Amino acid sequence: MFSLRALGAACTVTLCFGLGSNKAFAVGVPAGTDITNTAQVTYAIGATSVTTSSNAVVVTVAEILDVVVTRQSTANTSVSANATQQEILFSVTNSGNGPETFRLVMNSVIGSDDFDPLPSSPSIYFDTDGSGDLSSGDVAYSEGTNDPVLNPDSFVAVLVVNNIPGTVVDGNIGIIQFAADARTGSGAPGTVYATQGAGGTDAVVGMSGAAGLGTGQYVVGGITVTAVKSQVVVDQFGGTRPLPLARINYTVTVQATGSGSAANTSFIDNIPANTTYVPGTLRLNSALLSDAAADDAGEFISTPAARVRVALGTLTQASGTQTIQFAVTIN
Amino acid sequence: MIKGNRKVLGIFALMACALGSQAFAQTQGCIVLKSTAEIEKEVVNDKGEKSRVLVPAGKVVPGTEVVWTVTANNVCKQPSDKVTINNPVPEHMTLVPNSAFGAGSDISYSLDGQKFAPAGQLTVRENGADRPARADEYKHIRWEFKNSLQPGATAVARFRAVLN
Repeated sequence: MFSLRALGAACTVTLCFGLGSNKAFAVGVPAGTDITNTAQVTYAIGATSVTTSSNAVVVTVAEILDVVVTRQSTANTSVSANATQQEILFSVTNSGNGPETFRLVMNSVIGSDDFDPLPSSPSIYFDTDGSGDLSSGDVAYSEGTNDPVLNPDSFVAVLVVNNIPGTVVDGNIGIIQFAADARTGSGAPGTVYATQGAGGTDAVVGMSGAAGLGTGQYVVGGITVTAVKSQVVVDQFGGTRPLPLARINYTVTVQATGSGSAANTSFIDNIPANTTYVPGTLRLNSALLSDAAADDAGEFISTPAARVRVALGTLTQASGTQTIQFAVTIN
Repeated sequence: MIKGNRKVLGIFALMACALGSQAFAQTQGCIVLKSTAEIEKEVVNDKGEKSRVLVPAGKVVPGTEVVWTVTANNVCKQPSDKVTINNPVPEHMTLVPNSAFGAGSDISYSLDGQKFAPAGQLTVRENGADRPARADEYKHIRWEFKNSLQPGATAVARFRAVLN
């Protein structure tokens, strides 16, 4: 029902917290705007032409209360037992159309994980210096004291900080939830807080419920596996234009870093839409792999969706970079 | 005396003016134009039956569709001819395509308030070429009522626009 349009209010320094702007989230004309409309009629009585105006109708824009919480850190934050001040970065964006104050809360007691991270004291900081991690310039958050005030479209970067208990083992996961809600009110979308909006207009809870929730998890053990993909296009004329029938040669490097091991690692990559896998091009560390399953580490799978799969076994940091290559042609 | 004649002339002039303006005031005041902005609300009666009613739109959240209605009521004893209602598309709002309605009228639109054309016939110049204007680009709406508006009768024009 609520349509999203890219109209954001300008951010004034006194009201803005952090100076981040994210236009993609903006919703609507600023709260409190008065829209005036008058109709006119022209008519003739005999030879006389007359013009008359109607009454002026004023519609005032109400405030939508909306917020988006997004985790900026990777999904897993690698930690060790007894580690302190382990941080996860989030952004809180005012996706409504009026300036709004937000309350921030972190909860580390989540039932579905292996351990409860222990909130550091303080457990929530603003990433005041914009560094992306906890540093001496970052200001601690204290609920009710420095709740962030955000203009529409503006965001603030927040670090949640926890300590890791000593009684965890490799592979244990501890989940935290980070929530932001509008101080004017939250709840079911459409709930009206009459006259509580900016400038005295009504405030109405938007589709987000005026509350945002992000999650993050700490993973004990510290092995992280990353894959980096690159491509080279070779067309049939010896150039690099992505024409139909041109070939795309993909190279993916997989690297495990940190301590511990990642067991049963598999690399799987979907053949992109509008391309066709070139049989016999799958390689691991330069060695050619067969497209058939079960005879070696690699295979090409055609259904339900075309993809290549390479089994990499157990990876540790010492395993080094694993390089996978395959080719497709553009349909 | 010249002065005296001037006075007399002055009085005649005043009388003529008074008569003239009285006649002008009558034609000027013949149509009372009213405009409303409303939103549709679903109501449920005691029997659980649902219906939609229009209620005044006071404070409106972005994304809401507002129904604008203009009524022209002829309060004089003679018919009004060539009744034409003009309404700009309200600021910060986007016209809902095909929502303009007015029984007995020809409806046209304008991008600039000067040139009016029926739906689909306005063009916009973009990247050096002309393309048809979209309904969400229309800035003005015009209803030209084909028949005279009889004494006591009311012409109705309506359109919908969504708050940006």
